[in-house]
Amino acid sequence: MNGKINLVLAATLVGCALSLVSSQYQARNLFIALGKLENQAHQLDIDWAQLQLDQSTLGKNARIEQIARTDLNMAPLTPARTQYLTEGQK
Amino acid sequence: MKRGGNGATGSRVAASKGVAFSKSPVLAVSLPTWRSRVVLFVLFASFLVLAGRALWLQGVSNEFLQTQGKSRYQRTLELPATRGKIMDRNGQVLASSVPVKSIWAYVEEVSKSSLAKRRQLAKTMGMTELELRKKLDSDRNLVLLKRQVEMDTVDAIKKLNMAGLDIRPDYKRYYPQGEVMTHVVGFTNVEDKGQESMELAQQKTLVGTAGSRSVIKDGRGRFVEDVGLSQEPHDGKDLTLSIDSKLQYIAFSHIKGAVEKFKAKAGAAVVLDIHTGEVLALANWPTYNPNDRRMLTGDQLRNRVMTDTFEPGSTLKPFTVALALDTKRVRPATVYQTAPGHMVIGDRTIHDSHPKDLLTVSQIIQKSSNVGMAKIALPIPPQEMWEMFTKSGFGQAPKFGFPGAVAGRVRPYKAWRPIEQANMAFGQGISVSLLQLARSYMIFARDGDVIPLSFQKVTELPLGQRVISPQTAREMRVMLESVVGPEGTASQAQVAGYRVGGKTGTAQKVVNGRYSHTKYIANFVGIAPMSNPRFVIAVMVDEPTTAAHTGGSVAAPTFAALAASALRAANVQPDSSVTNIIIPDNPLEESM
Repeated sequence: MNGKINLVLAATLVGCALSLVSSQYQARNLFIALGKLENQAHQLDIDWAQLQLDQSTLGKNARIEQIARTDLNMAPLTPARTQYLTEGQK
Repeated sequence: MKRGGNGATGSRVAASKGVAFSKSPVLAVSLPTWRSRVVLFVLFASFLVLAGRALWLQGVSNEFLQTQGKSRYQRTLELPATRGKIMDRNGQVLASSVPVKSIWAYVEEVSKSSLAKRRQLAKTMGMTELELRKKLDSDRNLVLLKRQVEMDTVDAIKKLNMAGLDIRPDYKRYYPQGEVMTHVVGFTNVEDKGQESMELAQQKTLVGTAGSRSVIKDGRGRFVEDVGLSQEPHDGKDLTLSIDSKLQYIAFSHIKGAVEKFKAKAGAAVVLDIHTGEVLALANWPTYNPNDRRMLTGDQLRNRVMTDTFEPGSTLKPFTVALALDTKRVRPATVYQTAPGHMVIGDRTIHDSHPKDLLTVSQIIQKSSNVGMAKIALPIPPQEMWEMFTKSGFGQAPKFGFPGAVAGRVRPYKAWRPIEQANMAFGQGISVSLLQLARSYMIFARDGDVIPLSFQKVTELPLGQRVISPQTAREMRVMLESVVGPEGTASQAQVAGYRVGGKTGTAQKVVNGRYSHTKYIANFVGIAPMSNPRFVIAVMVDEPTTAAHTGGSVAAPTFAALAASALRAANVQPDSSVTNIIIPDNPLEESM
């Protein structure tokens, strides 16, 4: 009788020990995955900052004006050549 | 040895009759007893040594061993905080930090590598082999080769596969708008500390705090567990400025154009939103590129809008007139005799550049008559004038956080002599910054009150501080608009399609304590559009050297061009049907 209880307890102990090992293993794996994703998020943040920077660099007014003037041969508009449409006026 | 057996092996049992092995007399050797004692003692002693060692390891040197162990599997990581971005009011990035690397070298190892490799390394980093050798020629073990190396270069360096290189994370700050925006945004040094303008003023909020965490590494170098308390890094806060990139560019290109056209030393312009007090544009010329600061001079760094004070000249006339109107001393139609165009006060004489006859108060502003101004100003007690100037912000240190903003100078009224009071009425003997001047014109644009300025986007309308009555402000706006008519001193400030108003000023620079007759500062402060004021625009051109050098002929046309573009860019509806402006052949020039 006594021997049986011991056997059951020993089996339970081994089972617990194994599950501890496995959960520790899983926890570490998950932790590694989390780390990877955090790194990815950080990298995406950097990419976002870089893209914003690019947008600002490429879209700056000085560059737009220069391209409009030289490449597209555009000229600034003047009020003399502008027809203003006002609601309710003839 | 005795062997038990059964019937099958019975024949061998006879041997049991012999002597037992242990009792065999052959083996009976008589050893001295001390030998066994020695063995026993040695064994005991070695166990004691082991126990002692165990005790030593477990107890006394435990701490040392634990730290040694930790250093083998535990790492403490620095988690750097990124400096906040600076953006304009529409979210366009004006300054942003991008991670880069710095390259360090262990001198001994790198020096051992082949010459060809070192040459290649130097070339990739953009330096000569000699420069590299100089850096490696150091007493220290670890030297910094290059800071802020961009990722492409780092990849190329990694490909060299050189021993003894240490690549560490670093940040570099980029300013995509470059020279256009730099006097507002400023820049940081390599240590990521703000050095100028907003980068300096907002250093605390931008910088953030670095964090750290301790982790356990497994055999493959992966982090498997956090240990202890980790400190989260807090990135710096992003900053949204009040500046509008489009208006800023317009102001910048016009001020640059004006400096070139009038062969001036410098120029500056500022655009304010009169409803929120936001600074929409602040432009300076000369300027510099914040991304490449190798050839920086103080002249380029100077933010003339904020840090330069000058005697504004006639631009200050409206304040004394507003005071006289507000205290009911005069009405716009009150007539003054300004003939013969000069007036003696004490031992000094003041002049009008274009002598006139009878002028109303409105016309004194329109034609910018010094004699008329003196006649309006002299009956006013000095204290009232001083209060008017002070309430309008002159002589007061600006309250917003911007490094280097100056207070200007208004002398205490108790020491004013009549000639000085008259001079101050037309803007001499008092010094202001362009930003103060622009802000003070809010009292006319805003129905009599003045609000604090802001370099950051405003979400709540600020409360104004009343300086003059709304009635006076309206009367002043009519006068200021007449200045920009064909009859006024600033006819060149007219803007096609819009009604604008303002006042010119030509300040003589003080050289060696005397007013110079060759060095001027031409300035103009205007309000646009007049039907429903939205902007105050101030323009200043320092030392124009062309024949045209007055506020009316230099600053006014610059204002007109700037205002026309700014109003169109801000989608302000035209409030005038005039599309072809009339500028008289001989525009009137203001007195100095």
